[in-house]
Amino acid sequence: MIIELAPEHLLEAVRCLRDDADHRYEMPVLMTCVDWPEREPRFDVVYVLRSLLRNDVVRLVVAAAEGDTLPSLAPLLPGMDWHERECFDLFGLAFADHPNLRRILLPDDWEGHPLRKDYVSFGEPVAFTHNLEWALSPQDRPEYMPGSVRGSVERA
Amino acid sequence: MSGALVPPPTGTGLPTDAVPRQEGVPIIHPGGRGEFLDKIEPADELMEINMGPQHPSTHGVLRLVLSLDGERIRACVPDIGYLHTGFEKSFESHTYQQCIPLTDRMDYLAPPMNNLGFALAAEELLGIEIPPRGQVIRVIVAELSRIASHLIWLGTHALDLGATTLFMYCWAERDRILDILEWISGVRMMTSFIRVGGLMADVPAEFEGMVRDFLRDFPLKVDQYEGLLTANPIWRDRTIGLGVIDAATALAFGCTGATLRGSGVPYDVRRAAPYCGYEEYAFDVPVGVNGDVYDRYLVRVREMRESCRILHQAIDRLPDGPVNSPDRRVVPPPREEIDTSMESLILHFKLYTEGFRPPPGSCYRAIESPRGELGFLMISDGGNRPYRCKVRGPSFSNLSALSRMVEGSLIADAVAIVGSIDIVLGDVDR
Repeated sequence: MIIELAPEHLLEAVRCLRDDADHRYEMPVLMTCVDWPEREPRFDVVYVLRSLLRNDVVRLVVAAAEGDTLPSLAPLLPGMDWHERECFDLFGLAFADHPNLRRILLPDDWEGHPLRKDYVSFGEPVAFTHNLEWALSPQDRPEYMPGSVRGSVERA
Repeated sequence: MSGALVPPPTGTGLPTDAVPRQEGVPIIHPGGRGEFLDKIEPADELMEINMGPQHPSTHGVLRLVLSLDGERIRACVPDIGYLHTGFEKSFESHTYQQCIPLTDRMDYLAPPMNNLGFALAAEELLGIEIPPRGQVIRVIVAELSRIASHLIWLGTHALDLGATTLFMYCWAERDRILDILEWISGVRMMTSFIRVGGLMADVPAEFEGMVRDFLRDFPLKVDQYEGLLTANPIWRDRTIGLGVIDAATALAFGCTGATLRGSGVPYDVRRAAPYCGYEEYAFDVPVGVNGDVYDRYLVRVREMRESCRILHQAIDRLPDGPVNSPDRRVVPPPREEIDTSMESLILHFKLYTEGFRPPPGSCYRAIESPRGELGFLMISDGGNRPYRCKVRGPSFSNLSALSRMVEGSLIADAVAIVGSIDIVLGDVDR
């Protein structure tokens, strides 16, 4: 079951799902984010909760724009704490009232958020005769190209 | 640290001069382990020390920042990420087939499990089914790798607490499982044997005999391991009552696997959401009572016996027939056909250069890995690479509950507690 929600209803919905005696979606399975750069708002934040009572998983999807602050679920479900830190680390999402919002997987001084689609994960592009423009410096590359400085706001 | 094993002898032994004498507080306490330390006033200043990331008992590159009050842990902050490899980012730039060898390297003690989770998620997006023989071989490989993983856990967990012999015993049996995996896939560890649409290849004729040989000896070996540990007073003293986590807390932290079942919650993905035909096998889900290190030990040892039961049933029912899906979008044509049919040759070529394209959509598929619920949230945009593939590593959630388990315990017991949740850092950091 997939439920799409507005961010302001998230806390209330999770509290209902967790505490309602017929539902009991009390196990935080995972929480993550999906980046759709061409879309506005850009991110889909996905929460998966499991109910042992109903033997079911529910997926909550909240849309978030760049710079939005979402409510933190860590006070309700402590298992979400590390998952939210992972989203903060790899996607750059912010969470209000999170007890310890720091990078979790990457070093504290890392620049950028690697799981965003505009973050280039591989090394220098290699220029062949059919793509000589790849030999351009990162500043001169067209925006669509890997390694372009203009394409990646975070790394500029 | 070794002092924690044996209670201080009554009335003698401890150097009284080391601790400043206080009015009305006995310095030497003849009671059990740790009670002596409770009699000392809490220190004003806590000492912070690093355990790891290269400490051998942290089972990889885990760093624990411990705040110590004498020998007692007042706070524990796990620091992870030393093995972060960015698999989720790599998935987005590899075709589905190329992702399979990447998944091997996440939970590197049970690689076929990762293959299986990834393949099941991709197959759900594609809407394809695997023939019965393929399903049964998947179950056999998965249960063998569960036993292999539990053997490493048992050996290293016991080694951490000083039982050296068991480590060698467990390693020997695990090697027999690796021999079977090598025989069917050519590789001992990173097998990439389970593929999207079926298996790498059908198993050779000797496979059945090898598994039966293993199953004949293995229950006796488990008896031997249990004979060394289960009733051993030192083992019980080092594990009972330690690292207790109650069922509600374990659930709230998203713990799964033996960490949750040790607290008495009978949640096993093979039961709750069966895959690969697990609903047709008779097996029990062992649960603990107290949620301590000893109960988690008992749960995993009994799980090895249950895996043997499943293996017996699977090898008895191993049907004939194909192992791969007949769907030509995903599975290449047979070799003979490529020699005679131009279309098959083209299809084969395109399958390995372009890959296949699941329709746009998303799914969440979970399997029961040796460490708990291993989930794959896979999102396809209709391309030949996963648009996003989130891996729910069971060790990640289990480790997040560690600080609750170790706070208040002794530093020597932290080693036992870390061992009991059976983390693999490749699975935590991905």
